[in-house]
Amino acid sequence: MPLTYFFDSIPLLYPEIVISALIAIIVLADLITSKVEKVLPYISLIGLAVAFYFVTDNYNANAMAFLNDTGKGMVAVDSFGSFFKMIILISSFLVILFTILSKELHDSMDRIGEYYTLIFGMILGMFFMVSSTNLILLYLSIELVSLSSYVLAGFIKTSTRSAEASLKYLIFGAASTGIMLFGISIVYGLTGSVNLYEISYLFQVTAGNKFLLNLSMILMFAGIGYKISSVPFHFWTPDVYEGAPTTITAYLSVASKAAGFALLIRLIKTGFSVETSTLGAWVVLPSFYWQDFLVLLSILTMTLGNFAALWQSNIKRMLAYSSIAHAGYLLAALAVLSDQGLIAILIYFAIYMLMNLGAFLVVIIIRNKINSEELSDYDGLGYSMPLMGVSLGVFLISLTGLPPTAGFIGKLYIFLALLDAKMIVLSVIMVLNSVVSLYYYVRVLKHMFLNKPKEEVAHIKFPLAENIYASVLAVAVIFFGIYFAPVINWAKNSLSLFGF
Amino acid sequence: MLTEFGKIFAFMLIAIIFVVVTVFVSKLIRPSRPTKEKLMIYECGENPEGTPWVKFNIRFYVVALIFLIFDVEVVLLVPWTVVYQQYGLAGYFIGVIFLFFLGLGMAYEWKKGDLEWARPYPQSSKMKNSVQEVDASFQVTSEK
Repeated sequence: MPLTYFFDSIPLLYPEIVISALIAIIVLADLITSKVEKVLPYISLIGLAVAFYFVTDNYNANAMAFLNDTGKGMVAVDSFGSFFKMIILISSFLVILFTILSKELHDSMDRIGEYYTLIFGMILGMFFMVSSTNLILLYLSIELVSLSSYVLAGFIKTSTRSAEASLKYLIFGAASTGIMLFGISIVYGLTGSVNLYEISYLFQVTAGNKFLLNLSMILMFAGIGYKISSVPFHFWTPDVYEGAPTTITAYLSVASKAAGFALLIRLIKTGFSVETSTLGAWVVLPSFYWQDFLVLLSILTMTLGNFAALWQSNIKRMLAYSSIAHAGYLLAALAVLSDQGLIAILIYFAIYMLMNLGAFLVVIIIRNKINSEELSDYDGLGYSMPLMGVSLGVFLISLTGLPPTAGFIGKLYIFLALLDAKMIVLSVIMVLNSVVSLYYYVRVLKHMFLNKPKEEVAHIKFPLAENIYASVLAVAVIFFGIYFAPVINWAKNSLSLFGF
Repeated sequence: MLTEFGKIFAFMLIAIIFVVVTVFVSKLIRPSRPTKEKLMIYECGENPEGTPWVKFNIRFYVVALIFLIFDVEVVLLVPWTVVYQQYGLAGYFIGVIFLFFLGLGMAYEWKKGDLEWARPYPQSSKMKNSVQEVDASFQVTSEK
């Protein structure tokens, strides 16, 4: 095999190469300098900006890297993948800004080099998750993300909750990805190929063993469902989100979920959809009932997430169940199996990133001051820290999906996609779920503004940076709720997957 | 007619039956006179002492992991050494990049003290905090 096989692919893989180089630079910096906590955040932020530049450079590309003899490659570089890469990079950028603020991580500052290295390991894995069209690479990238996040979830060594989170995450992750690997092995046994395009072609020309195909898809969904925390693979979510450092919780709830969804969409679209009709609906092979499967999962996921969130007294645990519910809404949009549904998912992710990271940011800032995440300790905080109270209010109302916040736009587009496809029952269930979610989101505000604190709390001052981050994110959430055209256009331009 | 898997199945079946029959027949025929020495756990002729469920130092695992990582990485170098000359300078530098990352990992663990057997204990102040934290959580649960 000539080396041009590799060299032709290099221009398409600049973002991944930048991230890999950054891992080496961070490890070197960690070895050389003694003040790592001062240097590393800025190296990381600059590196992310460089990677972002290369991702935008590849945005309009429609190509494949590592082509094999039949012209089918391992890594697709298309605007759909680039959209998710941008989401991942922006959320990494914000999470690294949050890390600088977090007091929780302060005791572990002598090991902070590992923290940044592992975050970049996760980014690299997620990049391949969103762009891989090869089942083996897909599995490897999931493992790369998982292994880094297991360690990050247990990063605070002196906290028993953090260690518990890490262990539970590891056990669930190992079991789910093991099941997924079994599913992949069945697909390989059926088709003799690990390339999604070749698998799709073989499914189109031969009927194959239907029982085995269905079994393999359900098994493969175990791994993906664990990444996007969909029912019945959600059990790790509350414990891990509660125990992990809050920066990592925020990161897991946005970036790793986005990567999981990108993987699922790519699997369905390249593996099972034959073509896109003029109205935007995907013509899906009848060999697996994706629509029924996704509708069922989405109803279960959003209902369980919302109802379990009602009883939570810890805000991180509540946000964990809320993120399960949001996975349910996104699965509902995917179940439409059309370009409208895909647009809705992309818009929702762009908005979900802002509002969810914002909510976790306020949780981090409040924890820095009162050293607690229990809702009962939030009593009266709306008066002692008005800016944080109002920002958290904006984020939570946006998560509920009420106007004039951006969350409303996200939900609106999911509804439109559902109604367009005449999926009335699912959209009614989604509305009812949103009503349920209003209760637990507003309950936080009740604690902050209406409940009287046990003792009078003086006005609490925050550093300038914390005020700026919280207010910028809150203003952005409201701004995109009123002037949402850029988000919509961005999503509409990011629809093309390689080969479609 | 047996398929290929059928032959394997027949082979496994014969193996299982063979073991069951021999064990069962020898139990019927042999005399049974247990003594204390015969019932003792066999440990290379020594008398066993204490329980086998002792805590191992976690350093064993760290060293084993480091060995495993570098072992696998060196195995990956073998195919490269066979073919790199066919690819000229570019093929050579692919190996160099790989070895750079390998060396970086080596330097990292050396600097962080993972090659020392005796490591300093964690600083006492942090330990005290975590112990207090655990105590506090126990108290909370007992109050409930």
